[in-house]
Amino acid sequence: MAKLRITVDHNICVGNAMCETFAPKVFVLNEDRQSEAVAPEADTEANILEAAENCPVSAITVVDEETGETLFP
Amino acid sequence: MVTSIKDDMFTGEAIADPYSYYGKIRDEDPVYWNELYELWVVTKHHDLVWMTRHHELFSSEFWQRDKRSPYPAIDESDQGLYQYMKEFFMDWFIQHDRPVHTDQRMVVHKWFNPKSMEMWRPMVQQVIRDMLDEADQNGKMDVMRDFATPLPLFIIAQMMGMPFQDRKFIRSMAEKLLFIGRGEADRMQPLVDGIDELKDYLSPMVAMHMDLPTDEDNLLSVLARGEKNGVLTRDEVVADAILLLLAGHETTINLICNGTLAFIQHPEQWDLLKEDSFESPNAVVRATEECLRYDPPVKSIQRVASEDVEFGGKLMKEGDRIRWFISSANRDPEKHENPDVFDISRWPNTHVGFGSGIHHCLGATLARLEAQEAFKALSERYDKIELDAEDFEYQPSITFRSLKTLPVSLS
Repeated sequence: MAKLRITVDHNICVGNAMCETFAPKVFVLNEDRQSEAVAPEADTEANILEAAENCPVSAITVVDEETGETLFP
Repeated sequence: MVTSIKDDMFTGEAIADPYSYYGKIRDEDPVYWNELYELWVVTKHHDLVWMTRHHELFSSEFWQRDKRSPYPAIDESDQGLYQYMKEFFMDWFIQHDRPVHTDQRMVVHKWFNPKSMEMWRPMVQQVIRDMLDEADQNGKMDVMRDFATPLPLFIIAQMMGMPFQDRKFIRSMAEKLLFIGRGEADRMQPLVDGIDELKDYLSPMVAMHMDLPTDEDNLLSVLARGEKNGVLTRDEVVADAILLLLAGHETTINLICNGTLAFIQHPEQWDLLKEDSFESPNAVVRATEECLRYDPPVKSIQRVASEDVEFGGKLMKEGDRIRWFISSANRDPEKHENPDVFDISRWPNTHVGFGSGIHHCLGATLARLEAQEAFKALSERYDKIELDAEDFEYQPSITFRSLKTLPVSLS
């Protein structure tokens, strides 16, 4: 499985927490109630991409660490 | 605290210029107890964001939990209608807290995600082209009647598989439901009429969509699947269908109208939009966000305190009702530089036009898409849009910032 680099843009994140619903082991809300990707390896790539896709404000970027390819958006 | 704040939120002044009225509250007493309505009024950007992101302290089950009498007061003989209305609104998925809210939102969340919404862009562009071609024949239009209303109404009705010819009927029902944000003492009857007529209209349609095959999915069949999966009752499916139909167009109407008016009043910003010399994001994206900040379609939303909570230096008691004001938070000088200036170059634009937290507007992407395409088409087609009236007036609502009409001439 590809190693993923996941970032959440905190200028954009509104704390909708849908990422947490789709991939709860990966995304956790911090004390400002914004999302942090705490464990990129903790779920399948499919679930992580689904979480990113369902962010209502497109705050999540997913990159394949090895190839540098952007998987989302 | 002694203040000079007037508690009546429906005066001509507060309706015409909510920015001065709520700005004064923000300056003098930002978490303000309105004695007349027995209501906390929250006006600062920081407080609004904190409140909406602490949903465990501030419940969205407003109609379920609010035990006080309606504000402003209603006719004594309408108490039964009020109860009926409350029971209907309680079925809306946005009127729930976790975990129910998450389960119910999940039924429709994917439908509205940015990737899914992008597929509707070509249709939005086509509808806009057709409408403006028609307006061009006269050189004038009422932006409200001829453009801002039919566009989002067409799209949401299309999404829900509703017959083309029903749109006028749908709009007239929706207008009755908008009495929810009004202050007249006799507002319950039109509101309840609107609820009943929409229920009668939508119930058979929902029944028809129960067994639609997945490849013919529309928004109604997606919602109906929530019943099959045991997440929603039939009453909840019908109530949510009404919610999506209403929220799916009313807000965007106001975004397009208020935005167009802002450009009429600020010709130099209109020129900036037409030039489009910004680095990413482009002018249309920036302009849409600034319209959402400067004159937002939704003015305020309600919550109820789930427990006693200290907030903004005040003690809110369990069961206290609260109203947070987007119109004020978006003009908070602690968050936005020169907040009363309409400036489409602002970026990032951290307005709260769609709220924040777990209840952040489900249809935000659709509203953005429609408004972006509307402003883009207007700015590509016209050198100048001018107001074709002496003055303009707003609906007396504390929920929506709605112009009554917006007649313009186009050149």
